[in-house]
Amino acid sequence: MLKDITIGQFFPGDSLLHRLDPRMKIVLTVLYIVLLFVAKSIVSFAAVTVFSLILVFLSKISPKLILKSLKPLLFIIVFTTVLNIFYVKGTPIFEPIDILGWQFTITYEGLLTAVVMVLRITLLITTTSLLTYTTSPIALTDGIERLLSPLNAVKVPVHEFSMMMTIALRFIPTLIEETEKIMAAQKSRGSTFSEGGLIKRAKALIPILVPLFVSAFRRAEELATAMECRCYAGGKGRTRLKQYKLCARDYISLLTVIAVFAATIAINILLQGIVFAI
Amino acid sequence: MAFIKTENLSFAYDDDLSHAALKNINIEINEGEFVAILGHNGSGKSTLAKHLNGILLPTEGRVTVDGMDTADDEALIKIRRTAGMVFQNPDNQIVASIVEEDVAFAPENLGIDPLEIRKRVDEALETVGMTKYKNHSAHMLSGGQKQRVAIAGLLAMKPKCIILDEPTAMLDPKGRKEVMKTIKKLNSEENITIVLITHYMDEAAKAKRVIVMNKGEVMLDDTPHYVFQNAGLLKSIGLDVPQSTELMFELRKQDIKVPLAVISDDECVTVLKEILEEDRVTD
Ligand SMILES: Nc1ncnc2c1ncn2[C@@H]1O[C@H](COP(=O)(O)OP(=O)(O)O)[C@@H](O)[C@H]1O
Ligand SMILES: [Mg+2]
Repeated sequence: MLKDITIGQFFPGDSLLHRLDPRMKIVLTVLYIVLLFVAKSIVSFAAVTVFSLILVFLSKISPKLILKSLKPLLFIIVFTTVLNIFYVKGTPIFEPIDILGWQFTITYEGLLTAVVMVLRITLLITTTSLLTYTTSPIALTDGIERLLSPLNAVKVPVHEFSMMMTIALRFIPTLIEETEKIMAAQKSRGSTFSEGGLIKRAKALIPILVPLFVSAFRRAEELATAMECRCYAGGKGRTRLKQYKLCARDYISLLTVIAVFAATIAINILLQGIVFAI
Repeated sequence: MAFIKTENLSFAYDDDLSHAALKNINIEINEGEFVAILGHNGSGKSTLAKHLNGILLPTEGRVTVDGMDTADDEALIKIRRTAGMVFQNPDNQIVASIVEEDVAFAPENLGIDPLEIRKRVDEALETVGMTKYKNHSAHMLSGGQKQRVAIAGLLAMKPKCIILDEPTAMLDPKGRKEVMKTIKKLNSEENITIVLITHYMDEAAKAKRVIVMNKGEVMLDDTPHYVFQNAGLLKSIGLDVPQSTELMFELRKQDIKVPLAVISDDECVTVLKEILEEDRVTD
């Protein structure tokens, strides 16, 4: 169950996406997310979807893994779909059906909104997972640190923030593994986690969370000592193994995304009133 | 002059020396030595180790590393890069997710030039035999491999000394062997001073010198042959001796004249052969 969490995982490789500068990748991902919300017509969504599929192809990450990253959000996707199908008003597809005194109908608008929302969520998760799948956690936090470094001037602790992220990403798998171990141990003593009401379930979590926290604090203390032993003294005067330099492929990627962005806005304007839009 | 030297070192976690964790420790460790520290749980081994690179500072007395006083703030970074430390839990000392990025952590902290860091990282991984895994996720490695990565992370600082606090305690036999092989190689080929804290007697037997701690004090400090001769004394403070020594100890109890200073399997075989042959002659 917990193994399904793929957040923050990295799959080493040497695809185009792997080789892009992490700073550029972060900027492009943000642009892309904005794009998803700018796209307003079915046509532009089709274009964005094709573009995303190309990205997945370029990353050489197996589509299975991408689907796996969607799994934890399946509930949200289904929920918004159902909500939109039944609640958006407009032209009904069929006459309202009467079930136990409730009037049910599905509208064209509802159906389209549902499709668009599903696409939006799916694409959002797909691309952000592509970012973490193709960028090593250090490169990612490095990228963020460098992008935010101007904030140092106004005394924002950028390095500390990125160090915290590095460590968090490093320890996510370790803590997940540990949680599974503790759960197995408690189960073997007769605990159940998936039975009873909400309160009973919440109570069943206590014997998992307490040992998990105790161990996390012990880990934190040991890690701090180990970092001290390796001469860590904050961000001042630190150099980095990996040096980043923007090159042709970074600029070409930027131009491509800007082009897709411009095309989307153009479609929005040109097709206004012709093709259904939300 | 001794490379690491403690002078009348006493230490209490709460500054109250009436219940000190270390009592008046005087040891000298020379460059290139391979020293094992033995002692039962709570005897102060880890506390002592943490004094050898300035993680803890003496409540009384003085510790010097390569001539630098650990109480001297200015020298602290230099002391830490001279004497690196490996801990028991392999998971809690790896900072970065990817092997080579973790190995680069210390030289990055030292502000070393990126090209030089690259070189050091590659060399360090080569020395511990982990080059193949340089782009792997650290958490996917076995315990023994993680400890070797931790050692590589120190080697990238080019230390003169490595202190290992029960590095094999959480490992399976295969991992233990890998780590011990790496440690011995560092000592013999790179001339790195090794301070190995362990509760495995066979590991201690591989050192050139064994220090036995008891209740915060140094009880014995000599070659493994001499130390393990005191099997009775070691047992009285809850320590074992290597199996070969144990066998000699029991044979002696039966009035069979065998030397006690037998610590390795090979020596044991030789001795047993001798007494069996003698038996045949007298029969
Ligand atoms: N962080 C600490 N705070 C207070 N007391 C400690 C701490 N760590 C260890 N001690 C005490 O110091 C003594 C020596 O412990 P330690 O050096 O860890 O022994 P060893 O490593 O030989 O098992 C023990 O009595 C232990 O309880
Ligand atoms: Mg200890």
